Amino acid sequence: MVTGVTGPDPVLVECRDVHRSFGRGPTEVVALREVSCRVNRGQHVAVTGESGSGKSTLLHVMAGLEVPSSGVVTWPGLVLRGDRPGGVGVVFQAPSLLPMLDVADNVALPLLLADVPAGAARDRALAALDRLGLGGLSGAAPEELSGGQGQRVALARVLAAEPALVLADEPTGQLDRRTADSVVDVLLDTVDALGAALVVSTHDPAVADRLDEHWSMADGRLSAPVVSGAAR
Amino acid sequence: MILVWLSGLVRRRAGRLAAVTVGVGTAVALLAAIGTFLSASKASMTERALARVAVDWQVQVAAGADPAQVAGALAAHPGTATTDVVGFASVPGLSATTPAPGGGTTVQTTGAAQVLGLPSSYRADFPGQVRILAGGNSGVLVAQQTAANLHVGVGDVVAVARPGLPDASVTVGGVVDLPQADTLFQKVGAPAGAQPAAPPDNVLLLPEDAWHQVVDPLAADRPELLSSQVHVARDAGLPADPAAAFVAETGAARNAELALAGAGVVGDNLAATLDAAREDALYAQILFLFLGAPGAVVAGLLTTAVAGAGRERRQREQALLRTRGATHRQVLALALGEAVLVGAAGAAAGLALAALLGRLIFGSPAFGTTAAAAAGWAGLAAAAGLAVAGLTIVLPAERAWRTGRVVAAVSLPRPSRPRWARIGLDVLALAGAAVLIGATSRVGYALVLAPEGVAAISVDYWAFLGPALLWLGGGLLCWRLTDLLLRRGRRPLALAVRPVAGPLAGVVSGGLGRSRALVTRGAVVLAVAVAFAVSTAVFNATYEQQALIDAQLTNGADVTVTEPPGAHVPPSAGGALAAVPGVRAVEPLQHRYAYVGADLQDLFGVRPTTVASATSLQDSWFTGGTADELMAELARTPDGVLVSAETVSDYQLHLGDTLQLRVQSGTGGGLIPATFRYIGVANEFPTAPKDSFLVARADYVARITGDDSVGSFLLDTGGRADSAATAAVAGAAGPGATVTPLSAAVATIGSSLSSVDMHGLTALELGFAFAFGVAAGGLVLALGMAERRRTFAVIRALGARGRQAAAFVVGEAAVVLVLGLVLGAVLGGVLAKALVAVLSGVFDPPPSSVAVPWTYLGLLAAGVTMGIVLACAAVLASVRRSGVAAMRES
Repeated sequence: MVTGVTGPDPVLVECRDVHRSFGRGPTEVVALREVSCRVNRGQHVAVTGESGSGKSTLLHVMAGLEVPSSGVVTWPGLVLRGDRPGGVGVVFQAPSLLPMLDVADNVALPLLLADVPAGAARDRALAALDRLGLGGLSGAAPEELSGGQGQRVALARVLAAEPALVLADEPTGQLDRRTADSVVDVLLDTVDALGAALVVSTHDPAVADRLDEHWSMADGRLSAPVVSGAAR
Repeated sequence: MILVWLSGLVRRRAGRLAAVTVGVGTAVALLAAIGTFLSASKASMTERALARVAVDWQVQVAAGADPAQVAGALAAHPGTATTDVVGFASVPGLSATTPAPGGGTTVQTTGAAQVLGLPSSYRADFPGQVRILAGGNSGVLVAQQTAANLHVGVGDVVAVARPGLPDASVTVGGVVDLPQADTLFQKVGAPAGAQPAAPPDNVLLLPEDAWHQVVDPLAADRPELLSSQVHVARDAGLPADPAAAFVAETGAARNAELALAGAGVVGDNLAATLDAAREDALYAQILFLFLGAPGAVVAGLLTTAVAGAGRERRQREQALLRTRGATHRQVLALALGEAVLVGAAGAAAGLALAALLGRLIFGSPAFGTTAAAAAGWAGLAAAAGLAVAGLTIVLPAERAWRTGRVVAAVSLPRPSRPRWARIGLDVLALAGAAVLIGATSRVGYALVLAPEGVAAISVDYWAFLGPALLWLGGGLLCWRLTDLLLRRGRRPLALAVRPVAGPLAGVVSGGLGRSRALVTRGAVVLAVAVAFAVSTAVFNATYEQQALIDAQLTNGADVTVTEPPGAHVPPSAGGALAAVPGVRAVEPLQHRYAYVGADLQDLFGVRPTTVASATSLQDSWFTGGTADELMAELARTPDGVLVSAETVSDYQLHLGDTLQLRVQSGTGGGLIPATFRYIGVANEFPTAPKDSFLVARADYVARITGDDSVGSFLLDTGGRADSAATAAVAGAAGPGATVTPLSAAVATIGSSLSSVDMHGLTALELGFAFAFGVAAGGLVLALGMAERRRTFAVIRALGARGRQAAAFVVGEAAVVLVLGLVLGAVLGGVLAKALVAVLSGVFDPPPSSVAVPWTYLGLLAAGVTMGIVLACAAVLASVRRSGVAAMRES
């Protein structure tokens, strides 16, 4: 079930006994088992676990991209657009830039989808690219970018939309160490600048250590959160 | 390994395999079905050719030879069914004394006449030779024209002049028509140029005994006046193919002559008609090449586009194989295995579909007239299907291996300017097409060359080059224009897609520009498919139009009332016909005969100011002006006459020259000299024969002959010529008149030797063209977008609502649809005009304008649009259903 209300609530997203499975019968795959959690404004969370533990599914449920099989997801602190929450920026694991749009149009797209006028959307997109040192690539095609550049453009796309909640699904999964560190730096700087909450799913301990809270997932279950003295 | 790979493809990529199989199968089905059309057409041409010959062989008995012995030798020849000896006698003339209208009697005398002696079994043995018009079917029979000349009917006495002997008198038992008089009175064995210009005007048919009584006394002093022929009916089981039948027939005739050892010369009427039929058969093959081959190419392009939609995925799979150690040979073997799988499945399905279509449309599932031809044609179609599958699957695999590319997970084909665009191949091809087609259509070009007396028959295949270049250049130009618009036209595109994309119009048009390789491919494939449909439909509609005009030319009008020969029916008799419900206009048409020099021609008397009210006159029937202009000139010139081009050439006429003609008198007394003025050329005229004829003013002809008799009435019934209308007209026409609706002429023309049965080919091609259009629009688009499901899933993940996500899909679809339909319609129209110009020999008469089948084209546009709408709906539904899972697709 999906519900939500508007209002300046500190709780941005709350999951209560969320269960998500795919398929039926012998081939059923349970991705989330009675998961309950809450993300507040400004909170920085790392969701860790092995591949297939349900990290991505949890983030997709939080983003409203997937509907739970049972349980409730609410976004008290966010404005709903239809049945999905506004103010959520998602950084995907795999390269998610649209190949038929150039870098500037890719960054501007979420703004246009949110009914921001085209001129203002483009200005904000270029400003976001400049902020991340990518201003010179505004007219480039996605296939011309390196992996790190592509992920930074994806971050610029999030930055330009100024979300209250950033969900990053394995943002450094396909990057080398140095590039991964650079991307995490940008990510943390971005959310700090926005004052946004951040949830990062990762199986990289180095990335997880840089966030305040650790949630561990195993076999679809979420263990109790651990607050770490995160070193940025 | 190959089996494992193929079983995996079948289980996991069944949709892709099925789509390519359908494409291959369609190409194979079209090729094989056209083969069925060719075999069915050829077989029916041969059948019709044989059926229309009244007398298969006319064997001229040599002077001094015994006709009975010759007949016996021919009867013993293999393949002979029946023989009859026919006597021919040339006499100075015939005469008859008949009551005059005002009392007393008149004597009519003809010129030279032919008197034939027929055995009693002749009419039963050769039923197509003599057609009874009046009286009984035995006794003395007089030909229709002769009866008109002598003013005789059944029961009247005709005197036969005999040189040096008293006239012999015979009593007329019947009036007949000789439908094949030209053939009956041919000079057997003489070359084409030495044949008489026309059959004799005066013919008498006597029973054998009577003939001998009349002409035998001439044998002693004037034997040169008598001759005999043996008429032979054959039953030789000729091959279905006209060319093969022609060769077999001419061989049999020569063999028979050899057996006669000089006692007779064979006049082979069968071979003569098969000669025309093999020309028709070649035209059928030409129609296949011009109309069918592009269809097969379009099917191949469609299959290529369908297979190309999955090219990225296929290349990724092959790249993965390479990274896991597969060799070049192994990768190609897997690609070849997939190609053979879809090629074989497609070929089998295509041949089955072709056989079914052949049975339904042509009444025969055979792909050829013989077993060898059928096997060859089916093999050719299947090979073409396998070739298409190989080109679309194996070739890209080979190319990818050579470039060493490992395709990125998400990428678009890099749009680059192809080599053909840099050298301007499209412009060069179009220029070449313009030169070739212009050259062939300007001169009286003959596509099929069949010199008289030569066994070989050939086609000038260079004529195909013009339309082929037009196809090539037109298709490439469509590509260039589409690419240019997508590359440079972001603003106009944004304006164009704003109705469907709203505020996202700028981004959508930008996206179209970057995806222009895919969008261009979709638009051009659709344009080519639409061009094929439009060109085929317009050509077929024009052919049907001309066939109807030909029927109208033959019949004269919707309904024609022909008065019996010798009857005096005044123009006022048309009033009764005009009173029949449904008759809009009635136009009397005089019919006389007139000598132009020594040449007897039909003379038609018309009312030039009203003749077009009951019949349609085409501008292409006249030279020196339009139909209206020449009718107006005739109206201004009381003694004006329109003649044939042949007459102008034979007599070196110039406009304004006076002609002295001898016109048949309507009141007896023979021929009346009259002066006419040459004012223009009529090549065709309603009811006029294929030979030369004259058109003059009816009032002038009536004045100089003293007779205003009408030969026939032309009736305009608004296109309605069913049996009820015909019966109503027949009731008003009175006894003796023959009422002929247009449908009878259409049926005759549809079965004539000069026509190719287009109906089956039309149904086949228009059906495939429609399917191609819908597939090119919907299927190619759907498959292309299905390969980009991840992209659309990302758009939805970024927050796009339903309409916003649809904007990207619908925007691309709308651009493909509009460009495809517009470019396809223009290209198709140009191709249709070119085909009509190059294939002018197929039309009878040649068209002055093309016919546009708006209903079919409207249905085509609707079908294509519906296909694209369904494709968009399917893609959007698929993206909605798969949700975020689609983002994991590579």
